[in-house]
Amino acid sequence: MRFEVNRDVFSDAVSFAVKLLPQRTTLPILSGVLIEADEQGLTLSSFDYEVSAQTQIQATVDEPGRVLVSGRLLAEIANRLPNAPVRISVTDSSVAVACGSANFSLLSMPVEEYPNLPQIGEETGMLPADAFSSAVSQVAVAASRDDVTPVITGVQLEVGENSLSLVATDRYRVAVREIPWDSGDTGTETLTALVPARTLQEVGKTFGTAGTVSVSIARSDEREIIAFRADRKTVTSLLIKGNFPPVKRLFPETVDNYAVMNTAELVEAVRRVSLVLEREAALRFTFTAEGLTLEAIGSEHAQASEAIDAHLVGDDTTVSLKPQFLLDGIGAVHSEFVRISFTKTENPNKPGPVLITSQSSREQAGADSYKYLLQPNLLLR
Amino acid sequence: MRLVVARCSVDYAGRLSAHLPLATRVLMLKGDGSILIHSDGGSYKPLNWMSPPCTLSQVELDDEQTAAGVRQVWQVTHAKTADTLVVSIFEILHDSSHELGIDPGLVKDGVEAHLQKLLAEQIEHLGEGHLLVRREYMTAIGPVDILARDAKGAAVAVEIKRRGDIDGVEQLTRYLELMNRDPHLAPVTGVFAAQEIKPQARTLAEDRGIRCLVLDYDAMKGVDSGRPTLF
Repeated sequence: MRFEVNRDVFSDAVSFAVKLLPQRTTLPILSGVLIEADEQGLTLSSFDYEVSAQTQIQATVDEPGRVLVSGRLLAEIANRLPNAPVRISVTDSSVAVACGSANFSLLSMPVEEYPNLPQIGEETGMLPADAFSSAVSQVAVAASRDDVTPVITGVQLEVGENSLSLVATDRYRVAVREIPWDSGDTGTETLTALVPARTLQEVGKTFGTAGTVSVSIARSDEREIIAFRADRKTVTSLLIKGNFPPVKRLFPETVDNYAVMNTAELVEAVRRVSLVLEREAALRFTFTAEGLTLEAIGSEHAQASEAIDAHLVGDDTTVSLKPQFLLDGIGAVHSEFVRISFTKTENPNKPGPVLITSQSSREQAGADSYKYLLQPNLLLR
Repeated sequence: MRLVVARCSVDYAGRLSAHLPLATRVLMLKGDGSILIHSDGGSYKPLNWMSPPCTLSQVELDDEQTAAGVRQVWQVTHAKTADTLVVSIFEILHDSSHELGIDPGLVKDGVEAHLQKLLAEQIEHLGEGHLLVRREYMTAIGPVDILARDAKGAAVAVEIKRRGDIDGVEQLTRYLELMNRDPHLAPVTGVFAAQEIKPQARTLAEDRGIRCLVLDYDAMKGVDSGRPTLF
């Protein structure tokens, strides 16, 4: 095998292929990246039986062939190569990488033992890449990282007629966003897919500028696979098994008690005041007609408070919220103003959840469908 | 159990020699014949001791000892090694004996046993449709914590640990190998359940086709974490 390829194109392709490789694997060949060269160019692939990544790039192939080399090492090398065409040639068990005046020789791994990448089924639908990417970043942050409940470590994708909704929760908060979905002429069946949050976050970042992302959800035997395709790049992932909890019904239908704040001001104030908080401690937010007061209490050595402007509609309200959970929500509204709505509850031991939504001006609610529901802590005072 | 608080000096002779100069100490004489000399520190560890089997005898004082102020001399001799511990007592400040009765023993790892009981009661944590066959299913090399059947009726062996590390995976692997030889049980799949599973143990388990299950002890006990959740 022998080929020549543009340095930047090659470096991007290798880093894409190895990004989703597992940190530790018991099968060393799975830590490799498979490079296949033929008349069409190069195909780079990685696969660990759960997640696969594959990309095609242009290259001048002198001699076709296949080779498997350590993915992380090749990615690090490709990333540091000087700005010159990269020439790669394979002899017996070694791979020679030459670029400008730099030369590397890597040991290859037995390519015959490398597993076949999963077959990708028919396209289920198409997504606008920018909306998809921003929706993933808004929603995935709410997914649980706790292995106790594997079902909620994923982001639930729910395909509707013309929309796809993304849902994630860790039981303390729920984030939801809907984006347009074009199911083409394959019909409008409703589908759900539970995708590991980490994988989806990488997919969102990778395909952010791709224009359109093609999605296919396929079920065969016991395995369920989702594939994302754009820009000659493909990522597949096994879906998480199990039933995602019906969290959408937790959202209130209407709320008439809410406050609107400037997003940047609120973020700044929360970050400042929470400096004195101990881990896991909550901030106290008091909303009145005069504005919003943030108080950090509960630490013996230091306290802090700050008042900012807020436009309150309805009753005065006090809630206790974990600052990071609030920041995750208000950081994701992507609008100049943010609305925090308060719900009532009958249960004295469980304050009503607050709902965070975007707001384009003090009076005008945001146009997007992002919703973030957060369970406040008990008020201790 | 006889407890003596005394000003004493102690000499150990035998496989090693050691001397404790005159000071106030607690002497613990246990029912098994052993004697332990404690200072007011050092946690559970005595300054010196003689393990059973051994015998304690009072030695006649010689003139030199009497002149030095020694009131009693105890000589503790080990029955097998002939090592001796000599306690020279200058003043007894306290001396009392107590009948402690038979000790029920230390209950080790109560959490692990409780986790087993809770998981058996809440077998649905293993997955939908799982049924408990029995706890402590006996194999030739020891009991498996839980034997269950999955939704399709296949046997599932569960090993429960408080902290899941490599040793636990190895243990379950041995059970699985043995159980899979039994035509009534095979094929048996494994579940490694723990409150916390080390990444290395998880990798090894998954490589061997053993499913990992993290258990939330507080939630299983029904203890509220104090932080309200949405659902």
